[in-house]
Amino acid sequence: MNAPIDQNELIEQYCLGLLDNEQQALVEQNMAQDPAFRNEVTEFQMLLNTLSYQEGSSFIHESFDRLHNQTRSNTNVLFHQLSLHVNRYWKTASVAASVAFVASILTFTVARSIYKQNERAQYLTLRNEINSIKKDQRQIEKEVDKVKKNHISAVPVPNYPSKYSGTAFALNREGILVTNLHVVEGFSKIFVFTADNEGHACELLASDPENDLAILKINETNFSFGNRVPYSLRATSPSVAQRVFSLGFPKNDVVYNEGYVSSLTGFEGDSQHYQLELPSGPGVSGAPVIDEQGNVIAVISGKQSQTNGVTFAVKSKSLLHLLKSVPKETPSIELHSNALSGLGRSAQVKKIAPYVCVVKVYN
Amino acid sequence: MSKHTTAFQDDDVLLRSLASGRSDALEYIYKTIYPTVEKMVFKMNGSTDEAYDIFQDTMTIVYEKARRNELTLSCRFSTYVVAIAKHLWLKQRTGKKRNPISVPFEAVEQFLPLAEISDQFETMEKNVARLGACFQEIGEPCASLLKAFYLQNKSMQVITNEFGYTNADNAKTQKYKCLNRLRRLFFTEQDKTN
Repeated sequence: MNAPIDQNELIEQYCLGLLDNEQQALVEQNMAQDPAFRNEVTEFQMLLNTLSYQEGSSFIHESFDRLHNQTRSNTNVLFHQLSLHVNRYWKTASVAASVAFVASILTFTVARSIYKQNERAQYLTLRNEINSIKKDQRQIEKEVDKVKKNHISAVPVPNYPSKYSGTAFALNREGILVTNLHVVEGFSKIFVFTADNEGHACELLASDPENDLAILKINETNFSFGNRVPYSLRATSPSVAQRVFSLGFPKNDVVYNEGYVSSLTGFEGDSQHYQLELPSGPGVSGAPVIDEQGNVIAVISGKQSQTNGVTFAVKSKSLLHLLKSVPKETPSIELHSNALSGLGRSAQVKKIAPYVCVVKVYN
Repeated sequence: MSKHTTAFQDDDVLLRSLASGRSDALEYIYKTIYPTVEKMVFKMNGSTDEAYDIFQDTMTIVYEKARRNELTLSCRFSTYVVAIAKHLWLKQRTGKKRNPISVPFEAVEQFLPLAEISDQFETMEKNVARLGACFQEIGEPCASLLKAFYLQNKSMQVITNEFGYTNADNAKTQKYKCLNRLRRLFFTEQDKTN
């Protein structure tokens, strides 16, 4: 290499690293001795550094810009942005989603339980809960007197107030009756009071919890209603708007009610029940629903609490079904024909009334 | 690219290729490291454009270091790049006084001279900006002459012909005149700003 003539060239070549070792040592020696020269070299070096940095920087920028634009045109920018956003917000979003999920489940559960409670509250079973002690004491005293006087009943009627009362009606003259299971369920002291206000101890012969029916048998060997049961049982469906009446015991005396079949299904579409437009009150549970010809078509079991007059009754079909499970040794059921079809209503009621009884249960 | 992909998984090979400015190395870096940087910046409330700018700055630093053989890796190359990008982004955010965010600190960041690196970077960027202004001031043909020699690495003979100087020596003298003017401008400017 030629010896540099110009100092500028010397510095340049030193900075670019083009000098051989000997010349390089010489320059460094000069730098150590001459601060002005050293300053010049440093400044030159810095300029070159900056220039080379700029060159590198623009090289990097251009190269990556090319790559970046290529990739951008190849990939769906929108989709890419979306995936990045999902990446950024998924935590927040999942928290929000789970809160919403829990809230909706909670609302659903709460709403459901409230609805269920309402539903239960709407359906009232029609057994008569006896709260009025005064009334019952008077009645019991009367009954006790009677029992004392007559001594007919094999099992004496308790001399304290009954827990519930309902209605039962006879299925034959020997003392087989039907009522609602909810009236007598869980009680062993069941008494049926016939029209002459005499209490007769009963046993539960058969029951159908699903349809709320119970068959009772009066536990007295020589008990009889007298004549055969005047009404019959009709298993075929009545038509909607069929006029019906019932006899029940919302109080101590028999009460007559009249109405019509309003629907062939019961509470919430229960196919084992009819819906009736018929006044009812506590105590008429187990009362017969009778059509104009004197056929029992249903047994009253409950009412809707929020509306007046809507009564539900178990279809007689269920009763027939239950009767098949009654032990064979029991006296035959007399419900095949009736002696009422030609009669006027008051005459019908007069005939039926003796076969409809109060049923009371005691603790 | 696929041929090199496996080779570039070796950081030493990648670093050497980057230092010599090989485009396949740059492409490999763009494809493997840029998505990580983008995701990171995006998670720290940045846009994709901001992420790309940060990536460019980071790669400028890394390239410069690689070219000067100043880069000795104490961790994976990708980790190094991402750590610098993260540092630059956080610094930029605090500079802009946006609401601060807390970011988990990676262990590797403690061992990297990140503050020094970013300071160097800022100084260099400032210098480049000032140099650009100085080039404007010295005017033509000085600016083009210097760029042709120092940036485009053209030989003095080519420059002599291009710029219409009578001979190479003449061109060389002219070049040093220009360089000295530039140097004076640059360093007096620096004194002023300091």
